[in-house]
Amino acid sequence: MKKGLQLALGILTAIGGFFDIGNLVTASQAGAKFRFQLLWALLLGTIIVILLVEMSGRLAAVSKKTIPEVAREHFGVRVWFGPFVILVLVHLMTIAAEIGGIAFALQLLTGISFQLWALPVGILVWLFLWRSTFSAIEFSTASLGLITLCFVVAAVWHHPPRSDLLAGLLPSLPSDDGAKYWLYAVGILGALIAPYMFYFYSSGAIEDEWDRTYLGINRIVSVTGMSFGALITAGLIVVAGMVLFPKGIAVDSVNQAAFVLTEAFPFWGFALFAVSMGIACLGAVLEVSLSLAYTVSQTFGWRWGESLEPKQDARFALVYTVGILAASLLMTLGIDPLRLTIYTMALNAMMLPVVSIPFLLLMNDGHLLHEHGNGILGNLATGVIVLISCVLFAVSIPLVLLGGG
Amino acid sequence: MHVIRELLDMQIVDRDDEHVGRVDGIVAELRNGEPPVVVSLELGFVTIARRIHRGLEAVAERMHKRWSVRRSARYRIPWSDVMEVNTHHVRIDVRAEETVAFDWER
Repeated sequence: MKKGLQLALGILTAIGGFFDIGNLVTASQAGAKFRFQLLWALLLGTIIVILLVEMSGRLAAVSKKTIPEVAREHFGVRVWFGPFVILVLVHLMTIAAEIGGIAFALQLLTGISFQLWALPVGILVWLFLWRSTFSAIEFSTASLGLITLCFVVAAVWHHPPRSDLLAGLLPSLPSDDGAKYWLYAVGILGALIAPYMFYFYSSGAIEDEWDRTYLGINRIVSVTGMSFGALITAGLIVVAGMVLFPKGIAVDSVNQAAFVLTEAFPFWGFALFAVSMGIACLGAVLEVSLSLAYTVSQTFGWRWGESLEPKQDARFALVYTVGILAASLLMTLGIDPLRLTIYTMALNAMMLPVVSIPFLLLMNDGHLLHEHGNGILGNLATGVIVLISCVLFAVSIPLVLLGGG
Repeated sequence: MHVIRELLDMQIVDRDDEHVGRVDGIVAELRNGEPPVVVSLELGFVTIARRIHRGLEAVAERMHKRWSVRRSARYRIPWSDVMEVNTHHVRIDVRAEETVAFDWER
């Protein structure tokens, strides 16, 4: 019974963590500009994210250790320190972008500038983390995240041509604006394969006390949860492709994206978009803030756990407190959430080798995983992921510059 | 035992499996004509900074003086307190909460 509940909760949490400001921005931009032509990037990213999430869960369930823990132990602090600093930076940028997303959703609903909302939002997020346990966060993220299914409902309502959808699942070259096309493809991949997903997931497995008997659940949660998350993102690409693309509306600010639901839900589509965006970003910012605290605490070997009282793991709580405060203050300066998201997604894509290469090495360590290490197929898949990561590392920043961000 | 590979950067836990910190450094005693002996394990940002780059050590010292809650920038655990070393952790015969490492949690 307990495992059944955890299975359901795991799937829902995976959906909650999957869909965030990054997916929202990149999917609506891709759909508005290239209709369904970039669905292949979503498919590729989802396969990669399923494989890496499954590995991080397996590592935690078998070795009782998370990725930052084994990374420091295996590579030593001198090698791990560089990637660790970049990871902290990416986490901070993602927290800022998610807080920006919630604040912008509130701006859409109230008309009051997102700059004014950023600090109160940050304080509320912090209070929630400070007062609640891991299970409470897991449950609230999971249940509230279901509202984002509205994108799938809207996509079905629009009756998109099936042949066009299938054609979009195969990579094809754009007829014009190649730089933007590849920038959006990299953005979609960067939004999907966000490092926090793996650090949060493996730490969550430890918080939920997974052991080897959870390996089956881990496989189902990673495949089903990520696929459902991808379905929501696909829904948004399709809706943007059906609503914004024919009118030639490019998503240069979140305001334009907010109209994607107005045809399927005429009276409350705008508000529904804002609420979905706010809730998706809220779920994500909770997970990213915890992921930051997990990564730092585990790297330094501190006591950690969201289920503990903050005074029992003061340094863990201090990390997310400082992270949320810094990110909120950054957003009060008036940085455009959309632009920040694009840069963050490009940085995510750029640092994928840092995320993927450790998997290749750690998942073959017999001391950690015994007979549960990667097989030939697993290693082959991880090798391909590392290759793709290296390509993304090389192209992401030039594309941001060429594509105009 | 291969000291660098099996000890450095490992998780230190106390008798009750509480996380104390990591083996940030190892203090060894050099002896004439004999192999060096591990005297203690060292924990702390300053030790980590020194390993990353010598120039960072002074920066970490200054940061410690300004902001840290911990009584000392370095904390040493005598080798005599080490109970067990395995592939998962280094266990010490000290209560985590009684150590300098837990000054933040007090």
